[in-house]
Amino acid sequence: MNTFVERFTTNASNGLFCGNGAVEEDEEFSDAMWGSEAGFGSLARGVPSFTVPSVSDPAAFLRLHTDDHADPNCKIKIQHGTTTLAFRFQGGVIVAVDSRATAGSYVASGTVKKVIEINPYLLGTMAGGAADCQYWETYLGMHCRLHELRNRERISVSAASKYLSNLVYGYKGMGLSMGTMICGWDKTGPAVFYVDSDGTRLKGDLFSVGSGSTFAYGVLDQGYRWDLSDEEAQELGRRSIYAAGHRDAFSGNTCNLYHVKENGWNFIGNYDISKLHYDGPGDVAGSPGHGYGYDLRVEGRSSVNAPEAAPAVAAQA
Amino acid sequence: MARRYDSRTTIFSPEGRLYQIEYAMEAISHAGTVLGVLAKDGVVLAAEKKVTGKLLDLSGEGGYGGSGEKIFLLNSNVIGGVAGLTSDANSLVNYARTAAQQHLLSYNEDIPVELLAQRLCDMKQGYTQYGGLRPFGVSLLYAGYDPHYQFQLYHSDPSGNYSGWKATCIGANNGTAQSLLKQEYKDDILVKDAIALVLKVMSKTMDSTTLGSEKLEFAVLTLDESTKQPKAKIYKPSEIDALLRAEGLAKTDGDTEMKSA
Amino acid sequence: MSIMEYNGGSVIAMVGKDCVAIASDLRLGNQALSISSNFQKVFPVTDRIYVGLPGLGTDVTTLRERFRYRINMYTIKEEREIEPETFAHLVSSTLYEHRFGPYFIEPVIAGLSKTPSGGVKPLIAAADLIGCLNFAKDFVVAGTASTKLLGVAEGLWEPDLEPEDLFETISQTLLNSVDRDAFSGWGAVVHVITKDSIISRTLKGRMD
Repeated sequence: MNTFVERFTTNASNGLFCGNGAVEEDEEFSDAMWGSEAGFGSLARGVPSFTVPSVSDPAAFLRLHTDDHADPNCKIKIQHGTTTLAFRFQGGVIVAVDSRATAGSYVASGTVKKVIEINPYLLGTMAGGAADCQYWETYLGMHCRLHELRNRERISVSAASKYLSNLVYGYKGMGLSMGTMICGWDKTGPAVFYVDSDGTRLKGDLFSVGSGSTFAYGVLDQGYRWDLSDEEAQELGRRSIYAAGHRDAFSGNTCNLYHVKENGWNFIGNYDISKLHYDGPGDVAGSPGHGYGYDLRVEGRSSVNAPEAAPAVAAQA
Repeated sequence: MARRYDSRTTIFSPEGRLYQIEYAMEAISHAGTVLGVLAKDGVVLAAEKKVTGKLLDLSGEGGYGGSGEKIFLLNSNVIGGVAGLTSDANSLVNYARTAAQQHLLSYNEDIPVELLAQRLCDMKQGYTQYGGLRPFGVSLLYAGYDPHYQFQLYHSDPSGNYSGWKATCIGANNGTAQSLLKQEYKDDILVKDAIALVLKVMSKTMDSTTLGSEKLEFAVLTLDESTKQPKAKIYKPSEIDALLRAEGLAKTDGDTEMKSA
Repeated sequence: MSIMEYNGGSVIAMVGKDCVAIASDLRLGNQALSISSNFQKVFPVTDRIYVGLPGLGTDVTTLRERFRYRINMYTIKEEREIEPETFAHLVSSTLYEHRFGPYFIEPVIAGLSKTPSGGVKPLIAAADLIGCLNFAKDFVVAGTASTKLLGVAEGLWEPDLEPEDLFETISQTLLNSVDRDAFSGWGAVVHVITKDSIISRTLKGRMD
């Protein structure tokens, strides 16, 4: 794996364009590098080195053993299945995620932190392979800090997302599974970038990623406006994750809600999705005051005994 | 002359008759009587047993599915009464039960009474036209309920023909019984009056002098008030005796006469 | 994905003191998408026998109707209700008839059989999809959460539980096991069968 990256990376510090053999741990660096870029720790080579199985095609080997789509009975079950969403509006960026990790049909954990706090003003979400997201987004955080130190200003969301995107592109085809949203507030205002392990990088206002994303989109699309208030936006994020957790078998347990403002992100709260169904979010800004689950409202009802009409929602164009 | 045309069901006689079917009906006219009366709120069936005797083992609970020889539970909403060859009757009853369950499996509803009669008749007709087999020597009465046409009473014969009746009789002495019913039957009769009518007619047409549970089989189909589902009740011997006592028709002792209630 | 996991769902039955309990979740899904929180998988066979049918949804309905057919025929001909052990064998033979094109169901049977003295004897059984019967003394499980159910039941079950305690035990076992299975859940129902009555309760479970 290491050799692929080094062969094609444009970072002159460890490129193999000169046609050298396998790179050694403590090889001399080229003249193009200077100062801090040369020499401090393992950063010299740009990306950490990984041991690779000594087979002819390590990527195919890995895919054979971990690809759930091709073979549901594969030996190594990578934990995925999730719903994450992020949208930007006048008050910043709302980031909402579920907390379930599944391995096949087994619910491995209900307390996974799928929002990675890259730094106090940048958030990254986790969807796909849990390990892949966690590792590389933490790694991204490291690089963002370095950028700050070298350039004496915060890294833009665009630059951070591009760094991550280029990084995973180097591993394209090897089985990394990542669908993440890099969210933050920089000089251009609130920003959300979608980055995935295929190499896609997209700027946008509203994204949802994961097996439950379709359910979240349903709620998100009907409620989204640029000029939502902070409470309405938080409620929309929460409600969308609830919808996905309810319907998608691979999403659920709890919802973690974050709000990114100009001065950084705030953790709003952790909501149990089943409790949201029966009781609602409780005493929180934007709360509707009752459970989200509709079967509670239609229990025992029929066409001759219909529920009261819902109060009219502000009309959307 | 008939002799040349009566050995096979699959040929007509020159007069246009199928003798085998007629002979089958003749066999039935020697069998025990079965009487059915349709009421507004139910259907009543009664039958005279021919196989009786002290040595018969009647110890089983019986009556639930009709372990008698004449009246059988075909489905939860249909009771059948048979007259004719008992062995043929058993085969037809089994067929009817299977047909009713098959309908339930396909349509998730109890089989409508007429449809059950049709299934049996279609089979019986087949035995008059194909295969060179003899017809079934059985006539049946079907007493049933379905939500489409409420309470119904049908009669089918070996030819495969059936018709719906308000009151009818098959087996021995059916002519007598039929004319009695024609005189006495009223539309809109209720079940309790129908029971009395049935028992009265039975006592007049049966061979024995008095009615008793060892010669009589009895069944009633009504609608359960609370569940609105058909309720089939085939009377056990002890219940028949109790009914006869209530109607004042029970067997009397040699010397004493039973006073009316 | 396995056919047994396509619709999802799990069932468990337990033995108590002169009583049995059978419980199931209420989910019907289409792989990851959950569709119904009201899908019945446990059906009464007689006043004293219940059968749970976890597995492929269409076969749940078909098998339920097939058993109804055979039980009706049995009842009408035998003029009595079927006993639990006999019913278990009926299940087994029905499934083996389709040995080479099986129903994708692993039935669980729970019932009380009559003893000569007039008392009742609890009976539970489970079968695999081609009819191999397993008569257990304590509990039987089936469905997508079966491994989790076995583990929790092993920990919580004890012999001679009274009906109320059996209800608590089986409820906790079911609820906590299905929370660890993505394809089971969305509500649960429990039936406790005793000599005199059957008490059925719907449980409030996690709706995710």
